[in-house]
Amino acid sequence: MRHSSMPDATGEVVVISDATSSLGRALGLALARRGAQVVALAHMPAELAEDGLPSLVADVRDPASVAQVFDEIRAWFGAPTILINNAEIHPDRDILEETPDSFMDTLRINLGGAFNCCHAALPSMVAAGSGRIVNVVTFADIRPAPLSAGYSVSKGALRILTRALVADLGDRFPGIVVTDWIPGTHAPRRGVVDVIDPALAAEWGATLALMKSPELNGRLFLRDREHVPPQSLRGRVKDRVLGKGRRRVRLG
Amino acid sequence: MSNGLSQFPDPDASPTVSLGQGLAVGAAARHWDVIVIGTGIGGGLAGRRLAEQGLSVLFVEKGPLGHRTEGQVLRDDLEDYTARQIRGFWPTPLEVRLDGARGERIFGPIGSGVGGSSVFYAAAAERPERHDMESTPGLPHPTGGWPVGYDAYRPYYDLAEDLLSVRGEADPLSDLPGPALSAPALTEPEARLFQALRDAGLHPYRAHEALRRVPGCTDCLGRKCPRACKMDGRSAGVEPALATGKAMLLADSSVEELVENGGRISQLRVRADGREVALTASIVVLAAGALNSPNLLLRSTGTHSAGCANSSGLVGRGLMFHLSELVALWPRRGDPTVGATRCLSFRDFYALDGQRMGLVQSMGVTADAGRIASFLKGMLARSRLRHLPGSGRLATLAAKIGADVFGSATVLVGILEDLAHSENRVRPHPEDPEMPLIDYWVSDELKARRTRFRSLLRRTLSRHRMLFLSLVPTLNFGHPCGTLRFGSDPATSVLNSECRAHDLDNLYVADASFLPSSMGVNPSLTIAANALRVADVIAARLDATARKAS
Repeated sequence: MRHSSMPDATGEVVVISDATSSLGRALGLALARRGAQVVALAHMPAELAEDGLPSLVADVRDPASVAQVFDEIRAWFGAPTILINNAEIHPDRDILEETPDSFMDTLRINLGGAFNCCHAALPSMVAAGSGRIVNVVTFADIRPAPLSAGYSVSKGALRILTRALVADLGDRFPGIVVTDWIPGTHAPRRGVVDVIDPALAAEWGATLALMKSPELNGRLFLRDREHVPPQSLRGRVKDRVLGKGRRRVRLG
Repeated sequence: MSNGLSQFPDPDASPTVSLGQGLAVGAAARHWDVIVIGTGIGGGLAGRRLAEQGLSVLFVEKGPLGHRTEGQVLRDDLEDYTARQIRGFWPTPLEVRLDGARGERIFGPIGSGVGGSSVFYAAAAERPERHDMESTPGLPHPTGGWPVGYDAYRPYYDLAEDLLSVRGEADPLSDLPGPALSAPALTEPEARLFQALRDAGLHPYRAHEALRRVPGCTDCLGRKCPRACKMDGRSAGVEPALATGKAMLLADSSVEELVENGGRISQLRVRADGREVALTASIVVLAAGALNSPNLLLRSTGTHSAGCANSSGLVGRGLMFHLSELVALWPRRGDPTVGATRCLSFRDFYALDGQRMGLVQSMGVTADAGRIASFLKGMLARSRLRHLPGSGRLATLAAKIGADVFGSATVLVGILEDLAHSENRVRPHPEDPEMPLIDYWVSDELKARRTRFRSLLRRTLSRHRMLFLSLVPTLNFGHPCGTLRFGSDPATSVLNSECRAHDLDNLYVADASFLPSSMGVNPSLTIAANALRVADVIAARLDATARKAS
């Protein structure tokens, strides 16, 4: 299934960390359908999905493992042009049960894994002068749910990493575009049913990953549209009068 | 790279200046024909010319190599030393004491990296006129004339235009030739702007620009160009120099001192790779820019406490900038908005009735609501209305309504020639020798010419909606020059007619420091032309020495 309105992904080499999650797999399939060469990273060989996507094993916590798998990707498929940092764990753990090790392990995957992949992908993006990084994030940093200390801290820090990447690279390499995306596929608490179908969310995510305008650098997307922080009525009126506000970017 | 040299495959392929990066220890192990300090438009082109004539050339660049795909604009809102350095900006602010006032620290448009400031320039490559260098009928030169005249420079302007791929058209008001390459076609709104200026009695022509305009050209004016398209000290200097296989580049290498011995520079003390190395060469070409070349000489006090090459006491003195006169010009009724364009120049007020003014050109920015608002706020801040609450917002609103009604304006910038005064000077800041300390007085003579320049512009453009955006005399800190002037008398100049230091046998200067007067045009093309001339002087001299030896 390919819509003519969908951005074409031919020539792109996409790396998705943890493509064994339902969202990761759906993202991989959506981008592959649009013509991209997708490489899925998985933590364990046993997790590899039977969906035809080339999959490589990497422990995103381990910089050496990540560096090696990116070398293999470059050798077999070419330099990655798009990186989707999707690997995460979300242990349900009361903070009284959390140990220094368990807490840091969540950070090592959710934050360290994203940094390790950026670190491995950036040199060839810098050499090309272009590249695309999408960090899959949440609002957990704004309002941490109970039992989610490690998760909330790591995902909040990942949003800061996005802004830090833009601070260091945005002006120098306008062609390297980093954005945050909240897919809306998570059920934050057991019993919550209002969750987006990963296959639908993946279409939005694929579109976002293929948008390359430098203007998007550092912006946050929620589900199928850009998320602009809430503004006071006065601020909205002022922006309207002065013509300052801008239209939110939509993915759907 | 076992021979310490480097190869650069094809300058038209994707440029990779990093291939020329050498190691300081390797550079120190050999004696170079020429060491070039600084890789801006002057150092870059001088080094290229020397390497192409078969001489061994070492470029020593204080700033970083950078990545060839970078595209940053030179920012004045970034204060962190290392963050500035990584981007190829001069890492420290300038401290400017204007008209005797307390020092103010500002970040000037000064580069520090391969290509120097030139990687950030707007590619303006305009030729000066005869009267910029010599006395002409009705227009005596304020210095009595440069030691080298217009006709001697002419072949080097031709060569510089060729190496910089300059395109544009001849100024209809002068007999100067136009560039060999023609400018790209005008857009319809640009053509209407040309017509509007012609209707006002002006004589606009296609501005001379050093852009190759390769496919995919994104008009990198004011920012680093990721292609070998904008021609600057890096793309037209260092990279082709490295391609000869005769040159090597040491980036991140700061010259701390020129060591003088028996009337020659015997050694360069350089900090590189976290250590100090001593480099030697037959000839040293100083091209660190008009602020930092004199400062390096003033810091080199091993032999003379007043600094190297400073028997005249004039090192760092005679500093000139240009004054920039910014004018927002709105389209005539019915004409489309032109937006950002660098397409035109005119020289109708270049020199009038024995007075030197300068070139006017479109600046490559638009005056949108934000720019006009910030101008209005600046005006309010200087007026009695500044205490009125909400006046800032009122200015923003007024600018927004203005932009809605009139459209965006094109910004023209007039260059007003600045003349050399000994009290205007640069020296190393006592607290931080890396920071240039600038004393500058705007002379009454300059103020009077500014008033005249503005009234000429106002009168000529009276039928347009226009607004002067420069409230006070505005120095262009991107155009420093004159701090090591060349002349025939060692008592009143630092360099001789060949741009060799009067005091030293093997020290030449190839940046904007040599200029005895600032001219009415952007300095780049003249710096390039003079650097090529200096390179030929050096090559002839080394050739003669070699022949004598054999």
